[in-house]
Amino acid sequence: MDFKGFEIIWHNLDYLIFGNFPGGIVLTLLMSFAAIVFSTILGIFAGVGLTVCDGFLRKLLVIVLGFLRAIPVIMLIFWTYFLLPVLLNIDVPAITTVIFALSLIGGAYIGHSVHAGMVAIGKEQWQAAFSLGFTKTQVIIFIILPQALKMMLPSFVNQWVSLIKDTSLAYIVGVAEFTFIATQINNRSMVYPTEIFLFVIMVYFIICATLDFTVSVLPKYHLFSRKK
Amino acid sequence: MYEQLLEPRYLWWLWDGFLVTMAISFLTIIFSTTLGFLLVIAQQSHIKIIKGVVIGYNAIFRYSPLLPQLFFWYFGIGNLLPIEFKLWLFDEPEIQLFLFTLKMPSFEFIIGLIGLTCYSSAFIAEEFRAGIMGVSNGQEQASLALGLTRWQSMRFIILPQSFRIAFPPLIGQYMNIIKNSSLTMAIGVLELSYVSRQVETESLKTFQDFAVATFLYIFAIVIVGTLGNIYQSKYLQIGKV
Repeated sequence: MDFKGFEIIWHNLDYLIFGNFPGGIVLTLLMSFAAIVFSTILGIFAGVGLTVCDGFLRKLLVIVLGFLRAIPVIMLIFWTYFLLPVLLNIDVPAITTVIFALSLIGGAYIGHSVHAGMVAIGKEQWQAAFSLGFTKTQVIIFIILPQALKMMLPSFVNQWVSLIKDTSLAYIVGVAEFTFIATQINNRSMVYPTEIFLFVIMVYFIICATLDFTVSVLPKYHLFSRKK
Repeated sequence: MYEQLLEPRYLWWLWDGFLVTMAISFLTIIFSTTLGFLLVIAQQSHIKIIKGVVIGYNAIFRYSPLLPQLFFWYFGIGNLLPIEFKLWLFDEPEIQLFLFTLKMPSFEFIIGLIGLTCYSSAFIAEEFRAGIMGVSNGQEQASLALGLTRWQSMRFIILPQSFRIAFPPLIGQYMNIIKNSSLTMAIGVLELSYVSRQVETESLKTFQDFAVATFLYIFAIVIVGTLGNIYQSKYLQIGKV
């Protein structure tokens, strides 16, 4: 087996990285970033909601989160892709619908980890903070959340990695991200699919592994944490 | 009012798609559990190379998305297969198996099954590994001290205990397999998501169509969850000492 296929990749490297700007790897990274930010924010709200609310509101939240966790990402992308324009009566670009769907799904998973983290913080922390005269909002923002988020960081990283992987699903609705561009090039050349898709897998692997490494390994060397 | 509902034939289409989803998920669950188990057994070996290969396998399959992996199997490996074999497969031959004839599933179905199995087995292997790590070190030392060999201690002491720990996350992985099977629509497996797109294009009743498909997915997930809970409370008795 000779390496003609890698020549094709080399010739199309620009297109793979930038697409018709924005596209390709850059668009994948941008979408991942947006999805990670939104889903983390949503997840924190959902987690706090799960911990604080009770009664009907909590049941509703549990059902909504359970629904989001039970359906495949593709189904949610279909829902947002076909129904957001109908509901809002405006033309919503495909990228937005995908980011919207990914944020919701990621938020549902992260919400449960945030909730688990907040429950795991000892009761004494809550009591001590209350007895110092903090209001409930202050306790959550200043005392509980920082500890809970730090504790659940590995679980967040897992979710972020799977969000990056899920951006490849935007291919289905025709967003010109990396997987889509790669299939375009594959369709154009037709001869070297093995090499092209190996390359795609390797790039995703590098992106995800880098994220996992930076977030979960570096803090162990106390680069991010405050000196004691 | 009734013309707003999906016509029965579309419902049958969706049901057929659901059956394909269940078939591919079920086969994936069986194969990937077997493969994941073998992987984690291999990882326990003391030979560095075997260990490295398993770790590499897990990392590659866990850190890259399923969709490009499926394309890789479908276009990449499909390209390398000899043409006669592919033509034979495309005819969907029937194989005589003792009493009944087994109709070979489509090429897409087989490729989808392979892709899903490789992807999921890496995750399942990780769950098993976490289970084995969860069994305390003293257990192994004690069994070795009692004169069991390493394999015996693995077989009779470590694995039974680790299975209990690994079971709940394993059910989660099985649910993920059902959800991930929806991606095989991209290579043309006629499963639920694919069919729901078809129905959507033909009937233009987007909302009703996706509602039925979503309901079927949730139905499948709930079944797996319930079966898992029943098995767990009946046979594993987690939480009871």
